[in-house]
Amino acid sequence: MIVESLKLPKDSMLGDAIVTVTGNREAFIENYKGIIEYTKESIVLQGKNCKICFQGKQLSIDYYTNEDMKIGGNIESVRYL
Amino acid sequence: MKAYGIYDHQSERHGSDMLHWMQYVKGYVSIKVWGYSTERFLNLCGNHDILVWDIENHGDYYTMKVSVKGFFALKTLLKKTGTRASVLERHGLPFFVPKIRRRKIFAAGLILCLFFWLFTARYIWDIQIEGNYSLTDDILLDYLESQGIHTAMEKENVQIEKLEMQLREEYDMITWASLKIEGTTLIIQIRENEVPEYDSSGQSSLNDGEHADSPAGGKDIVAAKDGVIVYMITRKGTPEVAVGDTVEKGQLLVSGAVPVYNDDTTVRKYQYYEADADILIAYDKSLFVEKQTVYQDKEYSGREKKILLFGFQDKEWNLSAGKIPYEIYDISGEKKQVQLLDHLSLPVFYGTKYAKEYTLVEKEHTEEEMQQIMQAEWDKILQTLEEKGVQITRKNVTINKGNDKWILNIKMQLVEEAVSIVNNTTQQIPDVENEAESETEVSEE
Repeated sequence: MIVESLKLPKDSMLGDAIVTVTGNREAFIENYKGIIEYTKESIVLQGKNCKICFQGKQLSIDYYTNEDMKIGGNIESVRYL
Repeated sequence: MKAYGIYDHQSERHGSDMLHWMQYVKGYVSIKVWGYSTERFLNLCGNHDILVWDIENHGDYYTMKVSVKGFFALKTLLKKTGTRASVLERHGLPFFVPKIRRRKIFAAGLILCLFFWLFTARYIWDIQIEGNYSLTDDILLDYLESQGIHTAMEKENVQIEKLEMQLREEYDMITWASLKIEGTTLIIQIRENEVPEYDSSGQSSLNDGEHADSPAGGKDIVAAKDGVIVYMITRKGTPEVAVGDTVEKGQLLVSGAVPVYNDDTTVRKYQYYEADADILIAYDKSLFVEKQTVYQDKEYSGREKKILLFGFQDKEWNLSAGKIPYEIYDISGEKKQVQLLDHLSLPVFYGTKYAKEYTLVEKEHTEEEMQQIMQAEWDKILQTLEEKGVQITRKNVTINKGNDKWILNIKMQLVEEAVSIVNNTTQQIPDVENEAESETEVSEE
């Protein structure tokens, strides 16, 4: 692949989302496209190629911008749909 | 490009305090959003670079926080998505300032407080003295008081250079003095002369010889006690007694008037000096010390009452209500001065006192205890004699043990420089010259 051979950062070139999860308390998502669903039990985000679904208890969006988002709460699972 | 670089993943934790503060300064509102497609509304906020945070889902509505500027930009998005929003709370400085304008008394209090602080900072609230060993704080504070330096005086009235000089002039032993004002504390640093100087009435001046301001009449040495002279060396003056003589208290030992004789051994005139001599007088002394074997001892009941106290300057009030419910009690406690900063002491005190109840119980010393008490008494006598520079040449100590009291019977012979200095009263012989001349005239005729 051209991206790999040029050693360019994959996320910015391919537009994939980066999910960083700290323990089960918070998640940090970069490169997402939008919010599809937001309840206390689940947060579904739209990525470029897939949807990312966070499930848990007392989930909340601490903040978000056009590029990144921070989710707090008790995360039980992360799924790619 | 990120819209809000401050929300960077790594720096988020460090930047959060600063961020909160910035949000506070700029002002933000917490709003409630409900309606048809709230998720779409959130996405649009992101796309339009409107920062929202603390988003919470409450089922059929969301609450979130948004900056004041962002809130006004929300209007078009709300229309577009068919959602509705209402302001729940306003936070931050832009809302606080008008509020404070309405709360006039609060604002006045704030300003008053500031003025009070500035006002009190103009005064001296504490005086600290450093470097004094033989001059106590009390002596120096009393002196400062007499010079108009006291707590609760205005700082600008403290004339530092003048006071430094006055301190050096007033106390010879102060070789160096420095005053400075730190906050509301006046700090006085002094250095004392290591060799203390006695004034002319002190004992050590016996050997001083002539003193600068000795009166013209000279000084005599007289006995301060009845006794026998055991040692005598005269350096200046006319000795009136000799070793072995018995003297009475007040008797002239060395006269400050030194006669100048005529050829016929009559006194022509007197020259006056400050008499100077080493004289030791031996005298007998007996002492009785009586100690009761029965004594009263405090027996604490263990009950105590705590009293909070509050003081302003010299006054003191008990905060705890009610009287102390004990018949006899001791009071102990501690007091603290209120300090705002390190050096800003206010004239306000607080502290606690404890009243401890006790009863007086009659007890009797055992023989061993009595012996210890007697020994302690005797040691005390020896110590005071030693401090005065008195030698003991002979002693006879007996203890009479009675039923209810012991008597320490001491007979001793002491040797001491028991002299005092008085002004010489020897009258100058009037008109010596003329009389002498007339006498010679007579003899010629």
